[in-house]
Amino acid sequence: MNKPQAASMYESAKKIYPREIGGRFDRLSKIATTILLGLFYIIPWLQWDERQAVLFDLPARKFYLIGLTLWPQDFPYLALLLIIAALSLFFFTALAGRLWCGFACPQTVWTEAFIWMEQFTEGTRSQRMKLDKAPWSLTKFRKKASKQFLWITFSMWTGFTFVGYFTEIRQLGLDILSFSVGGWTLFWGLFYGFATYGNAGYMREQVCKYMCPYARFQSAMFDKDTLIISYDERRGEPRGGRKRSVDPKEAGLGDCIDCQLCVQVCPTGIDIREGLQYECIACAACIDACDSIMDKMNYPRGLVRYTTEHSLSNETTHVLRPRMFVYATLLLVLCGALVTSMATRTPVILDVIRDRNSLYRELPNDIIENIYTLKVINQSNAARDFVLSVTGFEGISLDGAGEQLSVDGGGVLSLPIRVRANRENAFGISNIEFVVTAKDDESVSVVEDSRFLGPTP
Amino acid sequence: MISEEYRGAKQWSRNKQAVFTVVWISFLIAAVGTMVFFALFDPVDLSGIFDEDLDIDRDAGYAAGFFFFWILCAICSGVTAFLVRTAPKRDAKHREQ
Repeated sequence: MNKPQAASMYESAKKIYPREIGGRFDRLSKIATTILLGLFYIIPWLQWDERQAVLFDLPARKFYLIGLTLWPQDFPYLALLLIIAALSLFFFTALAGRLWCGFACPQTVWTEAFIWMEQFTEGTRSQRMKLDKAPWSLTKFRKKASKQFLWITFSMWTGFTFVGYFTEIRQLGLDILSFSVGGWTLFWGLFYGFATYGNAGYMREQVCKYMCPYARFQSAMFDKDTLIISYDERRGEPRGGRKRSVDPKEAGLGDCIDCQLCVQVCPTGIDIREGLQYECIACAACIDACDSIMDKMNYPRGLVRYTTEHSLSNETTHVLRPRMFVYATLLLVLCGALVTSMATRTPVILDVIRDRNSLYRELPNDIIENIYTLKVINQSNAARDFVLSVTGFEGISLDGAGEQLSVDGGGVLSLPIRVRANRENAFGISNIEFVVTAKDDESVSVVEDSRFLGPTP
Repeated sequence: MISEEYRGAKQWSRNKQAVFTVVWISFLIAAVGTMVFFALFDPVDLSGIFDEDLDIDRDAGYAAGFFFFWILCAICSGVTAFLVRTAPKRDAKHREQ
């Protein structure tokens, strides 16, 4: 590496002032931002069955998802869901490039919202640049202060909403109003609020460039048929300024008038005309910018457009390709597995723990006894009666009462159980099964394996 | 040609890159680690293992677990980043010989 390059790597970051641009994709991104942020801020307020519809109740270790109650034991669903999310990202990246980055990533969405507030208080791009260069004055202070006020209020509301997914948001609101919020709740609210403020207000595109793993490895999912945003070099070059009346062909020019609008609107500060770059988050602002210029010049739109490498080199683009089939098949299988397992999930869980202190006890009349602790978790929302039984070999029985158990809705019943058998049937180690069945519905039943220990013959 | 105001706009200093990347990636991994860990173990059960009298509620347990993972991951990726960046360059070694 030569010296000047090394020196440039240490150059401090300059602030990027993205220029606002209207257009098709800008509208799309505004709609996406509004919907996604709207969902985030509204969902915790929705009620279902007199409780919060979506609540990840960490203190109680229960997740409420509309009508469904999930327990720590349901963790495999979460794992499956995360794998499905990752695969969908691969699928859509291979198909349509960085759609996620440009329209759905929280980083982009919140940055967008913060830029709206910036434009509202400080004005357009050139006004913002002028304001930053200007010496401090009352007007500058007023503008900066109102921007900070909006940003901080919005960030705090975001932190509050985030915590509202984990503790009941209505109660939380009342607690805040009466200054009685719990320490950790307050901490996480401020933490998330501050992270939003820093990420969306100041770090912005730097997060995508330096901190995002997806941005670095997404190229592995790209091929020549992936939808990318690209400048049509063959049509645009040689670029150069010209009057509207000049025919570019006669002047020996391409369609690019080198107005640099595509550079000015770019939130990551790159020049799309230099080709596909990993900094590009595919927000399509440059398409809107270029289309507006093409319209003014009476040239056809699409000098910068969504296209594929194959299409740029006049080859056929294949949407259906092996990669897509592999991703799609995997996705379908996993989604199917998730839906089936959720649909056939029995709302009762049984844990069996053998008493660790003794292997077995010998009782009079040649009876061998083993002790277990059963945990019966009723995952439905109403109280239920269950019947407990044990099978495995001849003559095995539960001791005494406790064969009928009543468990509250969403409750856990911890039950010490004595299992007995005759000595002649119980030599060595035997496999046994505990069965818990709901009294009102025989299909709600669960079997748990355990072992019964007896003396050596 | 890119207008003057965009020159240098692409760079964060290398130290800043390293610090923020280490903090951010270890944060993400710690979040996943915390989620998996506490899906399997209840902080209230765990606190009994260390000290019967330790009266810790779940919120504090989750927070402690999260920061434990975060610090652990940050140390790991921080040291890795440091060693990778300060390793002797192969070019330099060849020149000396």
